[in-house]
Amino acid sequence: MSAAGVQPRDWTCPFCSLLCDGLALAPGPVLQLRGGDCARARAGLAAFDHPAAAVSCVDGVPRGLDAALDAAAARLGVAHLPLFGGLATDVQGMRALYRLANVRGAILDHAHGEAMMPALRMLQDRGQMFTTLAEIRNRADLIVCIGTDARSSHPEFFRRCAPAAGREAGGRVVFLGAGGGTPGAAEIPWASTVDALCAEGDIFDTVATLAALVDSRRLAAVPAALAELADAMRAARYCVLVWEPARLAQHGALVGEALLRLLMNLNRKTRAGAFTLGGNDGAQTANAAMSWLSGLPLRSRVGQQGVDHDPLQYATARLLDERAVDLLLWVASFTPDLPPPPAALPRIVLGHPALAAGCAQPGTVFIPVATPGINADGHLLRADSVVSLPLHGVRDDGLATVAEVAQALVARLASGAAAKEGAR
Amino acid sequence: MTTIRLKGGRVYDPANGVDGEVRDIGIRDGRIVALHAQDKVDAEYDLTGCVVMAGGIDLHTHIGGGKVNLARMMLPEDHRLNRPRDSLLELASNGCCTPGTLETGYRYAQMGYTAAFEPAMLASNARQAHMEMGDTPILDHGAYVMLGNEELFLEMLARGEDPQRIRDYVGWAIGASKAMGVKVVNPGGISAFKFNQRKLDVDEDHVHWQVTPRQVVHSLARALSELGVPHPLHIHASNLGVAGNIESTLATIDALEGLPGHLTHIQFHSYGREGPKKFSSAARQLVERVNAAPNVSIDVGQIIFGQTVTASGDTMRQFANAELGNPRKYVGGDIECDAGCGVVPFRYREQSYVNALQWAIGLEIFLLMDDPWRVVLTTDHPNGGPFTSYPHLIKLLMDKRFRDEQLARLHPDVAAMADLREIRRELSLYEIAIMTRAAPARLLGLTDRGQLGIGAAADIAVYREEADREAMFATPEYVFKDGLLVARKGRIEAVPVGGTHFVEADYDPAIEKTVEAWADRHASISYRHMKIGTDELCSCSNGGALLACKVHGRGRPL
Ligand code: SF4
Ligand SMILES: [Zn+2]
Ligand SMILES: [Zn+2]
Ligand SMILES: [Zn+2]
Repeated sequence: MSAAGVQPRDWTCPFCSLLCDGLALAPGPVLQLRGGDCARARAGLAAFDHPAAAVSCVDGVPRGLDAALDAAAARLGVAHLPLFGGLATDVQGMRALYRLANVRGAILDHAHGEAMMPALRMLQDRGQMFTTLAEIRNRADLIVCIGTDARSSHPEFFRRCAPAAGREAGGRVVFLGAGGGTPGAAEIPWASTVDALCAEGDIFDTVATLAALVDSRRLAAVPAALAELADAMRAARYCVLVWEPARLAQHGALVGEALLRLLMNLNRKTRAGAFTLGGNDGAQTANAAMSWLSGLPLRSRVGQQGVDHDPLQYATARLLDERAVDLLLWVASFTPDLPPPPAALPRIVLGHPALAAGCAQPGTVFIPVATPGINADGHLLRADSVVSLPLHGVRDDGLATVAEVAQALVARLASGAAAKEGAR
Repeated sequence: MTTIRLKGGRVYDPANGVDGEVRDIGIRDGRIVALHAQDKVDAEYDLTGCVVMAGGIDLHTHIGGGKVNLARMMLPEDHRLNRPRDSLLELASNGCCTPGTLETGYRYAQMGYTAAFEPAMLASNARQAHMEMGDTPILDHGAYVMLGNEELFLEMLARGEDPQRIRDYVGWAIGASKAMGVKVVNPGGISAFKFNQRKLDVDEDHVHWQVTPRQVVHSLARALSELGVPHPLHIHASNLGVAGNIESTLATIDALEGLPGHLTHIQFHSYGREGPKKFSSAARQLVERVNAAPNVSIDVGQIIFGQTVTASGDTMRQFANAELGNPRKYVGGDIECDAGCGVVPFRYREQSYVNALQWAIGLEIFLLMDDPWRVVLTTDHPNGGPFTSYPHLIKLLMDKRFRDEQLARLHPDVAAMADLREIRRELSLYEIAIMTRAAPARLLGLTDRGQLGIGAAADIAVYREEADREAMFATPEYVFKDGLLVARKGRIEAVPVGGTHFVEADYDPAIEKTVEAWADRHASISYRHMKIGTDELCSCSNGGALLACKVHGRGRPL
């Protein structure tokens, strides 16, 4: 962990998967954001105001880090099948957690695993056609946000899509089936027009109709606005479809497939791509690192038998409900907004210091950890899963990183195993 | 200080002209040393009946970066089987055409390879590529940054920028991404596809920038030559996979005007338009041209029958082939005004005329080239087939009878007509050692790898001599990485973190102003984050050795 020497414009924000950079953060007991004014970032930073000395805790009793690591290792050492959940960490954290998962076997899922599954299933069944922020800035002449206002979860999204300097006109922005309260022209100043269409109604029906229209199929009784949008998409030089699987619940995979069909069609004659909003709290990073290390994405079990991927079975809620696992190791290093799920099984929590209060029961080991971008360096992948950025700590709060904690646990489990073998 | 003697093996070390002599090899602290018979050693291996070569070097294999990872996520069916582990040192990881990085490292090492190079690193995805390579154990690695489709470069070319400035920009891009070389993919074509252009011939204008692939290739090759980057421009030429593309391939060679260039996965670019199916082998035309052009080297990109996946930056061609996907899936992306990616799963079938001919063309190229130093053994993993099929490929090249048996199983028109039937050549162990280690090392400027001379790194593969070359090359007896025994009869014995090879070239830093100005106008990240510093590389690549190769203009590596 290192925290010194961050250049003034060098800060990367870890509080959503857009990873806005080129910001400044004035260090000190209260961290102040400069060069941007994102409410989500400010809320994230506020959780680090006036840090008190964070202490580890075993069964509600404050303990030193070593004692907490001993307790955690002992509990992991007797678990038959632990679940590594949360996984709100960076690349180094995932690397070390993967090694730890391999020591005795574990299932890995992210806190946003459920929200990630539609996009993953779409990828596994059909594929995807994506675009990235710089392409949007430089090319998009039509942005259609489907079932999302984008800014609730990713406040700076439209600023990040602002046309590159020198482009004559900004593109048109359309919200489709996104409910009320979507941003207007005043909030997307660069846009030539901002419309909200079909705000209510079933999102899957809306997307299916749009896909049919883009495919030039004749349909009876189509809303004129939708027909016009389909024409506009075909006429656009570069159309971007923005969607947010987390908002679509069980419809997600179907909507995703309809969008992909639509995109493949559009791309026969013109150009278009999708931008998927998701992957906050390190979800994009955890999934990518898991995939490259093991060959399979999250919701996989690893161990001596190899890797087994089961997106339905290896879901946190289901595993806990069915008591299919006997220990939960929960990682939440970015915000206090991802507390571990209550569970009757032993828990080890590597968490934001502010999670301590909720992790003081018997059966729970709590170890406060550093946050990449605040009091540790690190790396995260952006929502598009292409760009990864370095995060710079601006303060040293004396906290261990997730990677350091996981490495310490690996070392303890390895020496424990060695001692046992030696005794035989 | 560890000293090891490898005793009595038959040594094939083409870089030093050693062709099958029985001799001892000494190792001390990771390097090859001269040992006297009476010198004390910590370990001695009796290599009677064994063949000794430097560790294999794969100079073109897609092992790390966004598109490879998308391919992994996209193909869970490639990961259903878990190979039983016989070593507790191996962490869980699996896959065949899209293996996890851990599995990639284990399997390469088990096969006697000690270095692998990712050929298509996007500048905008370079950190991730280095992370994935850093998580590929045992192997040293490096990557070629993809240039020639990023809008900044095309803009510079379009406004007729001074070649010196282009050179400085290329030097900057190599340094910023910590690359070992530069690859150009469908020169200008990935960008053109973003402007909805569907085809781009060597002398055709990019619809927006009005520059041609010929200009792109020439200016990049010139820049690398002036910077003194050892690896020639790595060229994935125009019109990949298109019948008749031999014309654009030969035009691309012309575009070099004698400058060094490496044409990669050349099999996919050596197609004629003859015969009833309007698809024919142009291997002879290609080889005739390459044999006469000493500035040109190639790797083959041999196809292997069975399931694989094609992952390429060439979005223009991948989108055109999306319908051929098997299973039918497609991933495509336009990336950061920089490049793109297209992933299409594919199954090469023996009974397909086109696939059978592709197979024959690849082998013809290997066997017709008269200078083995300019042809490198690759399958363009995973695009032609997984790297684990190298032992099979070696057997095809070394064993005419085996080759004929395979040919007889193919589509009848190919089995009956292919030129390959007439080619009697069987490659020798010496030639295999050139194509799999000595030549790639030389083409990369790795002076102390790919050879077994005194002072070289002790990356060594020891194979038990067997008539069945596939069995022989699949499971070496011993594999040493920097003098450490890493695999023994297929069992992993140690898992060191590999090192990162990268080039540090001199360029005029004034170019940074141009890049910064472009980034301020067009990019989605801060200019500062477009550069990977050396410390950051160390953390991305997982703490492995940083193997910087410093070059000073037109010169040789120091
Ligand atoms: S949009 Fe996301 S990354 Fe950008 S400043 Fe807000 S919270 Fe941070
Ligand atoms: Zn920085
Ligand atoms: Zn290529
Ligand atoms: Zn390739």
